[in-house]
Amino acid sequence: MTFSMADMRLLTPHLVITAAALLVLLAEAVSPGRRKGYLPYLGIAGIVVAAFTTPGLFGPARSGFSGMLAGDAFAAFVYFILYAVGALTLLVSDAYLRDEGRDHAEYYALVLLALVGMMLMAGATHLMSVFLALETMSIAIYALAGFFRDERSAEASFKYFILGAFSSGFLLYGIALLYGACGTTEIQGILDAFASNRALAGSPMALAGVGLVTVGFAFKVAAVPFHMWTPDAYQGAPTSVTAFMATGVKAAAFAAVLRVFFVAFQTLHVDWSGVLWVLALLTMTLGNLTAIAQTDVKRMLAYSSIAHAGYILVGVVAGTPEAGAGILYYLLAYAFMNIGAFACLIMVGRKGHENTELDAFAGLGFKFPALGLAMSLFMFSMAGIPPTAGFIGKFLIFKAAVHQGYYWLTIFGVLNSAASVYYYLRVIVTMYFKPEPDTPVVEGLRAGPSMALATILAGLGVLYFGIVPGGLVDLAEQALRYLV
Amino acid sequence: MIPFEYSMGLSAVLFGLGVVGVLVRRNVIVLLMCVELMLNAVNLAFVTVADHLNSVEGLLYVFFVMTVAAAEAAVGLAIVVCLYRARRAVHADEISLLKG
Amino acid sequence: MSHFPYLSTITFLPLLGALVLLLIPRKSEGGIRAWTLAVTAITFVISLALWVRFDPAQGGMQFVERKAWIESLGISYYVGIDGISLWLVLLTTFLSVICVLSSWGITKQVKEYMLFFLLLETGMLGALISLDLVLFYIFWEAMLIPMYFLIGVWGGTDRIYAAIKFFIYTMVGSLLMLVAILALYYLNIRAGNAPTFDLLKLYELNLAPNVQFWMFAAFCLAFAIKVPMWPLHTWLPDAHTQAPTAGSVILAGVLLKMGTYGFLRFAMPLFPNAVEAWAPFMMVVAVIGIIYGALVAMVQDDVKKLVAYSSVSHLGFVMLGLFALNMQGVQGGLYQSLNHGISTGALFLLVGVIYERRHTRAIADFGGLAKAMPNYAVVFLIITMSSIGLPGLNGFVGEFLIMLGAFLTSKTAAVFAATGVILAAGYMLWMVKRVFFGPLDKEENQGLADLTGLEWGYLIPMVVMAFWMGIYPGTFLRKTDATLELWLERFEAKKEACRSLESPGALAWLQDGLNLVFPGSHAD
Repeated sequence: MTFSMADMRLLTPHLVITAAALLVLLAEAVSPGRRKGYLPYLGIAGIVVAAFTTPGLFGPARSGFSGMLAGDAFAAFVYFILYAVGALTLLVSDAYLRDEGRDHAEYYALVLLALVGMMLMAGATHLMSVFLALETMSIAIYALAGFFRDERSAEASFKYFILGAFSSGFLLYGIALLYGACGTTEIQGILDAFASNRALAGSPMALAGVGLVTVGFAFKVAAVPFHMWTPDAYQGAPTSVTAFMATGVKAAAFAAVLRVFFVAFQTLHVDWSGVLWVLALLTMTLGNLTAIAQTDVKRMLAYSSIAHAGYILVGVVAGTPEAGAGILYYLLAYAFMNIGAFACLIMVGRKGHENTELDAFAGLGFKFPALGLAMSLFMFSMAGIPPTAGFIGKFLIFKAAVHQGYYWLTIFGVLNSAASVYYYLRVIVTMYFKPEPDTPVVEGLRAGPSMALATILAGLGVLYFGIVPGGLVDLAEQALRYLV
Repeated sequence: MIPFEYSMGLSAVLFGLGVVGVLVRRNVIVLLMCVELMLNAVNLAFVTVADHLNSVEGLLYVFFVMTVAAAEAAVGLAIVVCLYRARRAVHADEISLLKG
Repeated sequence: MSHFPYLSTITFLPLLGALVLLLIPRKSEGGIRAWTLAVTAITFVISLALWVRFDPAQGGMQFVERKAWIESLGISYYVGIDGISLWLVLLTTFLSVICVLSSWGITKQVKEYMLFFLLLETGMLGALISLDLVLFYIFWEAMLIPMYFLIGVWGGTDRIYAAIKFFIYTMVGSLLMLVAILALYYLNIRAGNAPTFDLLKLYELNLAPNVQFWMFAAFCLAFAIKVPMWPLHTWLPDAHTQAPTAGSVILAGVLLKMGTYGFLRFAMPLFPNAVEAWAPFMMVVAVIGIIYGALVAMVQDDVKKLVAYSSVSHLGFVMLGLFALNMQGVQGGLYQSLNHGISTGALFLLVGVIYERRHTRAIADFGGLAKAMPNYAVVFLIITMSSIGLPGLNGFVGEFLIMLGAFLTSKTAAVFAATGVILAAGYMLWMVKRVFFGPLDKEENQGLADLTGLEWGYLIPMVVMAFWMGIYPGTFLRKTDATLELWLERFEAKKEACRSLESPGALAWLQDGLNLVFPGSHAD
């Protein structure tokens, strides 16, 4: 196994971000007078540099490191989603961590390293590199989830850890079985093996392998019934980390799902689409129904993220490039709206008190008009109401599902979407329609310039991609063209 | 020479034990051990398949898995220690601050 | 054809006005009101140009503007109006001015109120002029947001419940319509055409009757909820009673018309065979709505609720006219839509006037008001007459045409609908009697002031319109003739063309349902 400079070219963005992570750690150590306000911006600078070195956005598919890592338009598209996620997370974290007294360099470094793991996951073209990338990402996130080291944070971290390790076990056993059945763990190789040997699709070892890989990914994307503890982990983790987990992990995991299911298991679509059909339906429905019952906005958003995974699964079921492009669009839209919503959540809290109960939002819409406007925008976008990016995302996914004749799944999807309107609107109802209590829960906002910038960027993203989606849709379709 | 099916069967049994252990045991240290058991079952499967296919790749993967398992265990134990300090509990049922 | 982009101008002027409004300081409430009034008034004046320049001889789309939007999916910014939408657009711009005037008394969060109001106007106008299904859908949904806030923030005591109910009801219907839109899009592609959401192109797509049946059902549900047709009307009385006066006026005047407009513009011309199949059912439901609405209106003790239920009854007439499927019926339905906007809108304004003074709407709290407020009583009586369809006023023309059309199609339906007219006279006049006549025995009512200058200001145009539309309907009908003739001609032609299409068996769609896991060969 040798690798050339051309291979290194594919890895440049990852290396840049890794270097940024190390630099952040080093910078804290040598900073005079413990001034470290600039650390997150060092990280953002790293992400910006990485964005400029990202290859393959328009070029044909390339692959390097003996078929371990791709440098294609698909990977590049997901990288850009992840850059947005990473940069917004760092922006959101800055004021939050400072206020909580936890602004350590390790946090920023871990975010950057998790980001590298996510990127590798999106670029991986070999099941082993998918696994290694997944672990790089997950281990960093376990630590991030427990970063506040209080009871809730530690519990969240522990639960996320057990869930993650458990699911990695399934994924890995599935990989081992596929290796046994196909003789390779390269994604293209598996496709070739299934395509050339029809009988293989019926072999118990191959089917068990596909099944276990499916279960492993279902855990990772928090699909019902593999979602237990996900809401706990989301609720207990520091809010900025929750935003990162809900958007970044989801984007990376679905990128890997697309590669594995759309490429490696392409010829088995009839076998897995039925299973995923049921998973998608359960995930949407249970996610939404339990979200309706929540009285804590953070936990509600956790369940809603399960529901969103369900909508994306509808696209996976459809299994066409068109659906894949819709999924990519959805992931980007979701990144903007979800991080934006969590940023608003952070703003209403103060040190030691998150104030995420729904009642804390009473009357805030008129008290803090900018916050109210932003939160409403994100809620409408998550509910999929035009003219927001959330609508276009759902539109593209449902469009692809209808194209493949999945009318019923689409109908269930839109009905779910209508049900979700109820709990998203409830936040707006509380903010605008209910008077503020006599003793205000939220007296001031935890908003610094960085937080404001992050919210504005997220809001602009939601609106821009909702009103002028054309160019991005084309890019997403192009990304899929090279994948499948 | 142990037949292919035998060692694959053993690995499946080990994996199953790990899964059941995670699902039914409540002591967090035992949970960690069960996860390790699952990963080692995977290692056994990789070795068996590599032997069966006469390929060296599977043997290499075992090293990856072992490294990852070690890293996971390190972080996992750190989290458990942190949790124990915060709550004085190592029983999963007692860790239930976050419930909807 | 290059011309001044009238339609885009009137649609986006309110939006622009809303953005400028953001810059006006919250404290200068007078400035905010004046600015909103100016924006809506200018929009109305510009929209009058549409009326002047509209060519009545031409049945097709006029003032067309087109610009690619999402090219790869065939979505474009494509707008235009014909005789169907012309009057609805004018009604919208007209009522918007009236509503801003009637909202002068709002003191709670004036800035946000006016902001949402302007956004609502953009949404409504956008939906009325869109000729691209996705564009239409976006406006259609976006219109919900400001209305939701108007009900939820400025409404009555149960406003939250009413606002959520309004939103979710409409969402369910329109999301199913979205599925049908997507299905239509692919059926069009499968027929060998370029991908497009262009409505006029999709008009030309001939679909097998059984496919049409289900697509129509989805569109029909969305529009029937909006109309609202019995039994999907339950959100309406809540929304109406809880909404602020201007909200009710817009809701009755324009939003409900979106439903009937949707039938005329989308559901019926796209799926003529399905319309034929569903027509008897729809007529029965419409007649039930007419009678049910009237009977329930009769027992209301709240004036606003009474007017709300009368809307259900009136909209039943509109639907009856549309599904009579002849020139008289359809034209009557369209005309009655406009009438309802004027007379019910005016009724809501009048209820608002008295509510502002007494903070109650219970009929029992009034009595003998004609003595305290003679002018108010006169205006109220005129509008009541227009609502129950007295000859010489607008309601008569619409109801007459509808009855004529319905009679030609189904005599039974016409007879039952006629009882609705009688019932309408009953509940309206009974209400008027209890509110305005009899002894002025309630102490609180004795010192009530009559109409103020401002109230005259927005009521007079409504009264003038009621007379104009009643005495000289030609002004309005003339502009719709060519369009509706073309509409019916196309409807019949497409129906014939589709009838012969081979349908893949009556149970094909059921099979599709069972094949949901493994979509078979029919996916291209």
